[in-house]
Amino acid sequence: MSNAASEFLRDAATKSADLAHRQIIRHGIDKYNEAFERGRARFFNWETARQRCYEIKWEAVNHLDRYLVEFEERVKARGGHVFWAENAEEARAYITDLAKRRGVRTIVKSKSMVAEEIHLAPALEKEGIKVYETDLGEFIVQLRNEPPYHIVTPAMHLTRRDISALFKEKLGGIDTEDPPELVGVARRWLRQTFFAADMGISGANFLVADSGMIAITTNEGNADLGTSLPQIHVALAGIEKVIPRLEDLAILWPVLATAGTGQPITCYNTLIGGPRGPNETDGPEEFHVILLDNGRSELLADAEQRDVLNCIRCGACLNACPVFRSVGGHTYGTTYPGPIGSVLTPHLRGLDEFQHLSYASSLCGACTDACPVKIDLHHHLLHNRRNAVNEAHRPWAERIGFKFWRWTTMSAGRFAFLGSIGRAALRAAYALGLETTVLDPLRPWTKDRAAPRIPAKSFRALWRKGIGSN
Amino acid sequence: MDRIENPSRARILARVKAALASPASRHARQTNDPAFAPVANPLERFQKECAGNNTECVTTPDLSASAAAISKILSELPAGEIFVQASPELRWMASAWTSHSIRWSSGPAEDGGSKRGPSESSQATVTMAEALVALTGSVLVSAECGGRGAAFVAPVHIVVAKAGQLVLDLEAAFARVKERGTANKNSYLCFITGSSRTADIEKILVMGAHGPRRLVVFVALGTE
Repeated sequence: MSNAASEFLRDAATKSADLAHRQIIRHGIDKYNEAFERGRARFFNWETARQRCYEIKWEAVNHLDRYLVEFEERVKARGGHVFWAENAEEARAYITDLAKRRGVRTIVKSKSMVAEEIHLAPALEKEGIKVYETDLGEFIVQLRNEPPYHIVTPAMHLTRRDISALFKEKLGGIDTEDPPELVGVARRWLRQTFFAADMGISGANFLVADSGMIAITTNEGNADLGTSLPQIHVALAGIEKVIPRLEDLAILWPVLATAGTGQPITCYNTLIGGPRGPNETDGPEEFHVILLDNGRSELLADAEQRDVLNCIRCGACLNACPVFRSVGGHTYGTTYPGPIGSVLTPHLRGLDEFQHLSYASSLCGACTDACPVKIDLHHHLLHNRRNAVNEAHRPWAERIGFKFWRWTTMSAGRFAFLGSIGRAALRAAYALGLETTVLDPLRPWTKDRAAPRIPAKSFRALWRKGIGSN
Repeated sequence: MDRIENPSRARILARVKAALASPASRHARQTNDPAFAPVANPLERFQKECAGNNTECVTTPDLSASAAAISKILSELPAGEIFVQASPELRWMASAWTSHSIRWSSGPAEDGGSKRGPSESSQATVTMAEALVALTGSVLVSAECGGRGAAFVAPVHIVVAKAGQLVLDLEAAFARVKERGTANKNSYLCFITGSSRTADIEKILVMGAHGPRRLVVFVALGTE
């Protein structure tokens, strides 16, 4: 078993038994569900909206080369710079070099999952550059030295009491648990930083090919401040973020908002296309867009799972997932948690190390139903399981076990015979008092649960007696 | 600007092209229903959406009535500076605003290139809009509307709009943007829907995260 797998199992066991944690997550997701239902009801037809978004992303992802080049040309024509990074190291190096050349000392950063993916902030801090997270949730988890817990709600696992204690310890002079006052504390704390920062780093929700603009969505307005006041703006995006036309946002923005938080549309939907123009009042002198591959082109080559690149990082599949609700976001040990992370991570970081995530699912399909861009998430978990088996990454005992299982189930008589032997053996073991001990043949199940009652007769025997007739 | 070598560009594009050689299947189209119900009365819808998203929407007969109403709002704000977009309409309207000193956004002819946005201590910003979107209750502003910081730095953002700027939905707003070349003329566009907010603490909605706590839109009904 990989290190990541054993850590996952250990943390999942701890977290799922943590009732206080469950309570917090249930509260958060209940509130999301209420808001989402209200939001969905505002659409004349939510399924049409999903289908449109799917079609837009299908078009973009399946013609990625054309749209990326178009986007690049237009950004350059607007006076911006585009850098293509094959991996995390290249992206980090470009940004740290730029920051050092420009003598940048402080950076204000808004939310970017790609920045998390490439571990950007630690790399900058190592160069002595201070990075301030400005999204409130990200600011909170940064103070705790933690990765974000959830794609959209980074501090979902914390109560106002936790946040109050954190602010008291790290920022000082605070004695309140009132959410508006806590927000006010963060606002005041970050305000001077916005005005003093030398560089703003943002993500991008979409890259609009026909206009050469990036689209950023926030509720707080932090990305707008962070890309208006500093002299340099660096935007980070995965290559799959490109969309063909500006008008595509007319459906993508409302769907992203509703799937993400239940809002009809997010508060600030911003389009940025270059540095400040010659006649403009303010804005950065330099605008850089980094297009990150980091495994995405390999995923693109897998036609079966190509739709994973449709993802707009709304977090809806996390909220829908019974496994996420039990084990929590940090247990995954990945940048992208939940169903999308379980599907994506083996592609980005290796199937050998992260195949266990394909099993962190009940295959209930709630994630697939929730996905606003129609990614076939639960089937992709099965595809990853199959790929792991075909590429012979499974233990030999399991492979022999399944060969035996296949052989057993290929014949009805064999299945019945071996079933009766199994029941007899289990009955004998339990007659010896082995139930719930370490020698219990059903140990993996009975470790945490009551043993199942052993039926006197098999289903086939009952069927012959006529249970099927009424 | 220093030249940066970027050999990865060709490598990534080659991999992308090779990857796309095998075609992906596509979900069939399921329905031709519209995603949104049609908007019957755009102004009514805009007002209703504003009420729901925490935008104060005020209708006035014309720009001079808007100017008078804005003067009243400004007079109730703490003393200090306000930041105003240097547009011909607002220059004319601002003659009624005597309660605060005014810092004008710089236009090309204004101050020979010494450009600056609103100061940290601005009490309010007053700008024009590019469009109003009825379906979502959104205000579209561009860099031309006083710059990027104009919609974010001050605690109060006042928008002066004309009835003729109201469009049905985002689709229509983008059509207008393309028709007028707004996206080419501006490095920055923002669809603002309500005032700044966050729900990052226990999913409790708190207003005024980083941007303005208050967004007021004046729609002059008699002005196209």
